[in-house]
Amino acid sequence: MATKILTLGNILSRPINFLLKQNNVNSNLKTNFSTTTVACVNFFNKLPAEKLWKSVTSVSNAGAKKGRGKGAGRIRIRDLNRGQVIGVGKVNILWPGLSAPVIRGRELLRQQRLPEDPERLEKLIKIRDSMIKFRRLKLSPIERGWSGSKLPGRSIGPPDKIGEDEFTGFDTKVLQLRALLIMKGSLGRTRNYQAMVVTGNGQGLAGFGFGKAKEAPAALRKAKNRAGQKLMHFEIYNGHTINHDFYTAFGKTKIFVQKKNEGYGLVCHRAIKEICQAIGIKDLRAKVEGSNNLQHLVKAFFIGLLQQKTHQQLAEEKKLHLVEYKSENAYFPKVIASPSEVRTKEQIPKDETLDFTQYVMNDKVILKKKKFPRFYESMPHYKIFLRKYEKYRNHEKIRLNLKVEYGEVKSFLTDKYPEKNEQEA
Amino acid sequence: MSLPPASGTGRYFARAAKSIRLIRHGCTNRPFFHISVTQRKRTNAQPVIEQLGSYDPMPNVNNEKLVALNLERIKYWLGKGAHVSTPVAELFGLAGFFPIHPRSYMTAWRNRRTERENLAKLENEKAKETTA
Amino acid sequence: MSYLFRKLAQTNPKNRIHDAQIFVISCRKLSIVPSLYDGEQDPAPKFFSSNVQVMLKRLTRPDYNKVFRKRTNQGLTILKTPSYKFLTNEELEVELANAKKKAEKLLQMPPVVKIQKHIDDVLSKDPALIGYDTAKYLFTDITFGVANEHRFIIERDPDGILRSCDHDVRKRLNQTYFPMNGRKLREPLMFTDQEKLYSLLDREKYEFVLDRACVQYEPDEPSYQKITSITYQHIDTLSKYELLRSTRHFGPLVFYLTWHQSIDNLILELLQNSAVRDAVLLTALRQDLHGDVVNGESLPSLVHQVLATPIQLTKPECLTEEDIQLDSKCLKCIEKYIKTNSSMKSQQELALQGFRENYKQLIELSRGLQKAHGKA
Repeated sequence: MATKILTLGNILSRPINFLLKQNNVNSNLKTNFSTTTVACVNFFNKLPAEKLWKSVTSVSNAGAKKGRGKGAGRIRIRDLNRGQVIGVGKVNILWPGLSAPVIRGRELLRQQRLPEDPERLEKLIKIRDSMIKFRRLKLSPIERGWSGSKLPGRSIGPPDKIGEDEFTGFDTKVLQLRALLIMKGSLGRTRNYQAMVVTGNGQGLAGFGFGKAKEAPAALRKAKNRAGQKLMHFEIYNGHTINHDFYTAFGKTKIFVQKKNEGYGLVCHRAIKEICQAIGIKDLRAKVEGSNNLQHLVKAFFIGLLQQKTHQQLAEEKKLHLVEYKSENAYFPKVIASPSEVRTKEQIPKDETLDFTQYVMNDKVILKKKKFPRFYESMPHYKIFLRKYEKYRNHEKIRLNLKVEYGEVKSFLTDKYPEKNEQEA
Repeated sequence: MSLPPASGTGRYFARAAKSIRLIRHGCTNRPFFHISVTQRKRTNAQPVIEQLGSYDPMPNVNNEKLVALNLERIKYWLGKGAHVSTPVAELFGLAGFFPIHPRSYMTAWRNRRTERENLAKLENEKAKETTA
Repeated sequence: MSYLFRKLAQTNPKNRIHDAQIFVISCRKLSIVPSLYDGEQDPAPKFFSSNVQVMLKRLTRPDYNKVFRKRTNQGLTILKTPSYKFLTNEELEVELANAKKKAEKLLQMPPVVKIQKHIDDVLSKDPALIGYDTAKYLFTDITFGVANEHRFIIERDPDGILRSCDHDVRKRLNQTYFPMNGRKLREPLMFTDQEKLYSLLDREKYEFVLDRACVQYEPDEPSYQKITSITYQHIDTLSKYELLRSTRHFGPLVFYLTWHQSIDNLILELLQNSAVRDAVLLTALRQDLHGDVVNGESLPSLVHQVLATPIQLTKPECLTEEDIQLDSKCLKCIEKYIKTNSSMKSQQELALQGFRENYKQLIELSRGLQKAHGKA
C-alpha cells in the first residue's frame, strides 16, 4: 500500500511542474519560480498522518460489533519511513558531520559524491515491508514439539540437581501445559498455569509430575523437579519392549497395550510415545478407548506398566512352563520360565484361561475393526487401470534383468535386428 | 482389445465340435501362441475351453523354439474327437506325437529347393565373373 | 577352465600338489584343485547307508540354538511379534519332539552322488525334414504332477533327428516352465567367476555358498561338485569346521574329506577340542568307506557305545565312571590310529598329550567331587 501512496505523490507532482515550465516560457520572464502553493495541496499533505491512517484502519461502530477489523485481514498502522536515515538519499553523497564523522583517522573528510548503490531502493522497500507479515517463532524440526512452537511434546532438559546429586542422562518432555482460569472476588478472572511433564533416562528410570504456578515457566520448572523426585524403575524386556501385553484403566480411560517385535516402533498416543521414550521402550502398540483425558491417560499407562509381572511370576501363578515361540527361530519352543512345581493336565480346571494373551490382558479383548477395501477399488476406472497395466506388470523386472545381463536395456534380438536409423548412420 | 483369459472360461457344449488350434497372444511384432482347445465355430478372440500348451515361434538366445504340450490333456481331447488344426498337427508331428505332417515335408522340400537354387545362382554368377 | 580342472583331477591325483604349485605361480586364486565324485566307485550307496548317515549326523553335533538361529534368507522382511504359551510337562515334551523333527528336516544333508552321465538317446531320424527350419524345436511335456526328472523333454534338430535333451537343457526348460524358487536361469556370477567365489570363501561365507549351490544345482551336476569341493577344501585348509557344525552341510563335508582320504586335519581339530569320541566315529567312518584302518574290526562295537551316549555340545565338567571307561577306550583306539594311519603324527600326538593332561585333572576333580558328596 505504501508504494501506492508514493507513486500517487509522484504522479500528482509531475503535471504541476510541467505547467509551471510552460508558464515560464510563455511569459518570458526572468524569474523562473512561483510562490503559488495551491497546486501542491492535496489529500495526502493536507491531513496529518494520524488522520490518514485512521481513515484506513478505522472500523465503524456497527462493523466493530460484527467483529470487523480483527484477525487476519486487519490493517495495522505502519512506519513507512522505516530504514531511512537523515543524510542518506537517492544521490549517494558523503556529508561529514551528518552521515559520516568529520575526521577519520588523521584525515579531514570532505563532502563528496560516492558511487550510487543501484539496489538502495529495493533494500529500503524490503526493510519497510519486512514487518507486514506476522511471523511465528520457528523451531528446528528437532526441537519442535507436537504442534509448532507450542510447548507440549518439547524437551525442557533434565531436572535441577538436588544438592550434589545431578540428573545425568535425564531428559524431560512436556506433556501438558494449560491455563486454568479462576474467578476471584477481588481480582476478577485470574490465570494459573498447570504443567504435566515426564522425565526419564531412557534406561528404565522415569517419572511424571505436575506443577502449578502463575506463570508458565515456573509451572514447568515445578513439574519437572517434582517428576525428578518421583522416579520409578521399569523392566524393559530384551532392551526394547514391555514384558507382556496388558490392559489398564484410570477413570473412563482404558488402554490396551501390546508387546511388539523389534523394529515395530511406538504405535500409540503421542503422550504414551513420549513416556516410552523417556523409559527406553522402543516397540509397543497401544490403543486408547473411552475418555482421552491426558492426565488420566498418563496415570493409567504408568499404573499398567507398574502392574506388569515378570515371566517367572506368571509361570509361578499358573504353575505351568512359559514357552516363547519366535518366527525368526522357526517357532522353536524356548522355555523362558519354569515354576518350581508344574501342574499336570488333570489338575487344571476346565474353565481356566490358558491362553497367554487372554490371561495377561485380564480377559479383555481388543476390538479389531473390519478392513474395508480402498474407496477406488470398486470404481470402474480402477478396473480399466488394472486391465491396461496388466501387460506392463513384469516390465520393470525384465528391464532390471537385462541391465544386469547386458548393462543396458537390450536383448540378443537387438543385434539381430538393429534399428533403422542406426543402420543409415 | 483385451484378450480372453488363457484358459478355462469358455462355455462348454458336450456335443459341439472341438478344435485344437494355435491362438495368438503376445503383442505387435512379438507373436506367441497358446495351444488351446475351443469350440470349432468360435473365433480365436473368444474364450477357450482349456489351454493345452504354448508355442513360441521366435527362436531364443540359443536358437531354439520352445513348445510346451500337456500331453495328458491333449490325449483326452483327441479321445473326445477334437479336430487338430494343421499348424498344431505339424508341431505334434515334429514332437513325435503324431506322424510327421505332409506339410512339414513339403516345407522342408521347398526350403531345400530354394537353397539349392540360390546356390546354383551364386555359382553361376561366380562362373560368369571368372570367365569375364 | 573347469574342463582343465577336471582333467587334472582325473589324470594325476598323486602329484596334485605339484600341479597346484604351478597354479599358484600363475594365479594365487586358483590354488584349489576341485576333485569330483567321478571315479569308478559310486559314493551314493555308502552315503545313504544307515550307519554312515547316523555317524555323519552325530558328527554334525546339532546345537538347536544354531539350528534354529535367525537367518537372513528366511524371506521375512520384518520380524513378527513372538507368541507365548503356558504348557504342562507333557505338552512341552510334545513340542520339543516336534522341534526335533523340524530340526531333522532342517539338517537333512544334501545327497552325495556320482556325477551325471550324458543323455544320448536318438528317438528317430527323418532326413526328409532337413531344411524345415534353421532353429531347434524343444518339446516339453507339461502334464500335471510329473516330477522334473521324469518329464519328457525332447528336441527336433534342424537335421531331422528327434532326440532326448541333455541335462543342461532339461534343467533350463524345467526352470522355464516349472520355476524353482531361488534358482536362476543363468548361473549366478558368484559361481561362474572364480574371483568372486574365492572372495566369498576368503570372507568365510561357506554356508551361503553351499546353500546357494544347493538351490542352483542338482547334486549330480559337475559344477555343483566342483564348487562344493573347492569350498570343502578351503574349509579344510583353514580348519574352519566350526562354521559348518549344526548345519546340513557338515555331513557332506566329512564324507568328502573321508572319501578323498584327508581327515587328518579334522581329527587334529577334534583332538584339540577334546572330542575323542567324535574322532573315533571319524576313524570308523574311514573304515566303513575304505576299510584301511588298523584293527578296524573292533571299531563298530566302540561306535555303538559312543552313539548310545548323549551328544556333548560343550566340554563336560564332571565325569561318571562309565564316561571315564569309554573315553579311555577311545583314547587307545585313537593312539593306534595315529601310530599307523595318520600322516600328521607329531601334531596329533601333541594334541592328544594335551588332552590327556586335561583329562587327568578332570578325572581327579570329578572323583574328588563324588567323594565329597559321599557317593564313592
